[in-house]
Amino acid sequence: MSEKIYVFKVFERIWHWSQAGLIIFLLLTGFEVHGSYSLLGFEKAVGLHTIAAWTLVGLWVFAIFWHFTTGEWKQYIPTMQKVDAMIKFYAIGIFTHAPHPFKATTLKKHNPLQRLAYLGVMLFIGPLIWFTGWFYIFYDKWTEWGWDQYLSLEWVAFFHTVAAFMMLIFLIVHVYLTTAGHTPTSHIKAMLTGWEEVD
Amino acid sequence: MSLGKRMLSLVMVVGAALAVSMAQASTDPAPAPAQSVAPGAHSYVPEVEKKSTSTADHSKFKELQQNFTSGPEVTKACLVCHTEAAKQVHKSKHWTWEFLNPETKQRLGKKNVINNFCTAVPSNYEFCTACHAGYGWKDQKFDFTSQDNVDCLVCHESTGTYRKLPGLSGHPNYKDMEFPPGSGKIVKAPILKDVAQSVGKTGRNNCGACHFFGGGGDAVKHGDLDSSLKMPSKYLDVHMDKDGLNFSCGTCHKTTGHEVPGSRYTPTASDDKAGGHMRGKEDKNPATCQACHGTAPHKVAKLNSHTDKIACQTCHIAEYARGGKPTKMVWDWSTAGKLDKDGKPFKLKDSGGHDSYDSKKGDFKYETNVIPEYIWFNGKVNYTLRETKLDPTKVVKINSFEGSASDGKSKIWPVKVFRGKQPYDVGNNQLLVFHTYGKDDSSLWSNFNWDKAIEYGMKEIGAEYSGKYAFVSTEMSWPITHMVAPKGDALTCAQCHAPSGGIGRLDNVPGLYMPGRRANELLNTAGWSLAALSLLGVLVHGGIRILAARKGDEK
Amino acid sequence: MLKAVLGFVAGVVIVALVGWMMMPSMMFTERVSPFGMEETVARIQHNIEDSPELKAKGWSLSGLRNPAKAVQTDGGNVLPVMMIEVCSTKYSGPILKDDTVRFLSILMPCKISIYKKQDGKVYIGTMNAGLMGMMFGPLVGETMGHVAEDQKLFLKFDPSKPAPQMILPKAPTGGAGAAAAGGC
Repeated sequence: MSEKIYVFKVFERIWHWSQAGLIIFLLLTGFEVHGSYSLLGFEKAVGLHTIAAWTLVGLWVFAIFWHFTTGEWKQYIPTMQKVDAMIKFYAIGIFTHAPHPFKATTLKKHNPLQRLAYLGVMLFIGPLIWFTGWFYIFYDKWTEWGWDQYLSLEWVAFFHTVAAFMMLIFLIVHVYLTTAGHTPTSHIKAMLTGWEEVD
Repeated sequence: MSLGKRMLSLVMVVGAALAVSMAQASTDPAPAPAQSVAPGAHSYVPEVEKKSTSTADHSKFKELQQNFTSGPEVTKACLVCHTEAAKQVHKSKHWTWEFLNPETKQRLGKKNVINNFCTAVPSNYEFCTACHAGYGWKDQKFDFTSQDNVDCLVCHESTGTYRKLPGLSGHPNYKDMEFPPGSGKIVKAPILKDVAQSVGKTGRNNCGACHFFGGGGDAVKHGDLDSSLKMPSKYLDVHMDKDGLNFSCGTCHKTTGHEVPGSRYTPTASDDKAGGHMRGKEDKNPATCQACHGTAPHKVAKLNSHTDKIACQTCHIAEYARGGKPTKMVWDWSTAGKLDKDGKPFKLKDSGGHDSYDSKKGDFKYETNVIPEYIWFNGKVNYTLRETKLDPTKVVKINSFEGSASDGKSKIWPVKVFRGKQPYDVGNNQLLVFHTYGKDDSSLWSNFNWDKAIEYGMKEIGAEYSGKYAFVSTEMSWPITHMVAPKGDALTCAQCHAPSGGIGRLDNVPGLYMPGRRANELLNTAGWSLAALSLLGVLVHGGIRILAARKGDEK
Repeated sequence: MLKAVLGFVAGVVIVALVGWMMMPSMMFTERVSPFGMEETVARIQHNIEDSPELKAKGWSLSGLRNPAKAVQTDGGNVLPVMMIEVCSTKYSGPILKDDTVRFLSILMPCKISIYKKQDGKVYIGTMNAGLMGMMFGPLVGETMGHVAEDQKLFLKFDPSKPAPQMILPKAPTGGAGAAAAGGC
């Protein structure tokens, strides 16, 4: 029979789900501001997008603080070990009920692909979206701060949108891969309760 | 730490993050503009249309208790006390009709400019000088040093009976007169004694007597200035609202020494004053919006972040000519001179009852509630003067507003663009001055002969004329700045940042990234395709897993 | 079996949804006018007044409304909008006599709206009388069918004709005031 281990602490779970909600909401309002569709109306979309963005910034500040004080940041140290095994598993093994090549433990809760993906989100997509977002928000201050000669709103918006598309793609793949655990719902249950079923 | 305590602290953490973000989003990160404009701050008593607060009752002055027979006689009486007034007026544009643009060095002013309305003053003085703040300018020999020829009354009288009719060289009609000639309408001669005794501060009707009727009729020229502003309601102008703030023109165009600030030759396109107008402060131009409202007048930070690139007028005067008076949008001189079968000039009317054709002037188009065109403008205006060589294959810009998205000095302004056709010298490629009005037989309006009218006009200014004329298309821009609507009628976000398929007001303004409007199509295609592909990928992957699982079960 | 029922239900739901989304655009039509505000109004008015065919069918102008005026009175601004009201007792009579459909008097008189949009163009908005009529039984359906036919004539412009004068109602028709200028 399977055993259960405690992988996600309370903070992580709250962080994860509020982040998930905020990111989905930001994508929804963001693409409306981008002009992709009309849902809330431009004015509302801008206002809520800004509020949600600052909330996410606040959340990340606390998350970074938490990760460093608890040492949990080590969970994201990239490793190339078993990456090939993971890819092979997703490409073939998963269809043939092959055993998962990675066993989550409390000390190592992410598989090597997850580590790489999350690190990518945190070190690339995140900063790209944050910095372009800040430039965007403080657009009217560029002249005052002497930045207008280096920045153009068009490119700031471009890269902000690039990051948004990457986030969207991450979201799609991420949501799908949550079903790729021991059972289709075991990852999701773990993120809700903290306890993951493992082989 | 117990689980409960930890939960509590986490909730607080997230709450704090939320609070910080809310505060950030709703206030400006820079020192927030103090809420200095309290609700009642605007309610000071305006100067016009109220009981006079002057310490002098001009009807009691013995200098004014005489039966004047002419304007200059009245002026003489005024100057007995106001000894410096005429000398001040002599320096003003209202008198000189001349302006030297210090930056472009162009010699402008009514005396020099050729526009695409009535075109040019020279050779038509008697008619045009109905709007000159003086008496007797009927030809080039007019004495600009004469103090008695200054017209005090037109700007200061308050009876409304004093009218300077075209054709009288700036004089009012001293006898009852049929006007317009042949109309059967009689304009009564003003009683100059009463008019003289009625003087006071200049009001809307005084300025309006000329500025509401520029271009040859009510609302014709500006679009944002017409007779509906004499007694406007709130919807039309939130500052001039007769039941509200009741501003006169001078409330903004704060005049000292007869020098009226606010110029269309050198407009203030970008006024970056930090605060409101202070008593005693010398402002270059007290007539800008910023002179009173500063540069961060909105409660919402996001709106204030627009003020560095968007002129106030762009959002707050969403349409002009809203007072029910249609403004002229097109004037084609080339069709002037058609006569009916009896050889008489005639007029045609449009659906709204306004002239659409006049043998004297050509074809017109009018419009009310006009949506402005929008341009980058940095305050510099270049004119096509009579001397300027033009390219007749292109639309000639009578004036062109300089500005760009990147010069750091420009804002997006609403303008009225007035389009027309007017004669130019085919030999010299220059605009022409022609003799429109005059009792002689050379004027266009007396015999409808362009050759004679142009020859006369060009001779009058002593300029060379090749003898051949044709008509060229012209455009003239007028910044829109009056008829400020109540704040509820300002453009909404979505009127510029329109959703796809909608109409965006600033769609034609170049060099501008407009969130919601000008997304990079390549990025959109790539982004959505990749997102769709990844969705498809996971669906296929998932599908195969389900199939594989079923097969496994079957086994 | 269950699958078939479910499929059928899903089909019905989808059709209803699509119908619900299409409804507004089907009930009303909008087109760009080649003329300015006043000229559009004037040309429609004269199409109605000067056509012997429409006269014979009892059509006459019954009002010209300017709802923008009411907004101005309250201190606000909207882009110009004018409503031509036109009525034929030949069509309204039978409907008004039938108690079961008398409530349709709220659709009377027949209105054509002329308005400016943000792009500066003038638009003409009309009701799709034919389609709407079909919902209320044979009497109304047939009548409204005729109305729809005639409506096409209201909007048939002949640009070669010079712009006619706008016909102003005798009493000014703001948002509140009514114009009782014959017809219905």
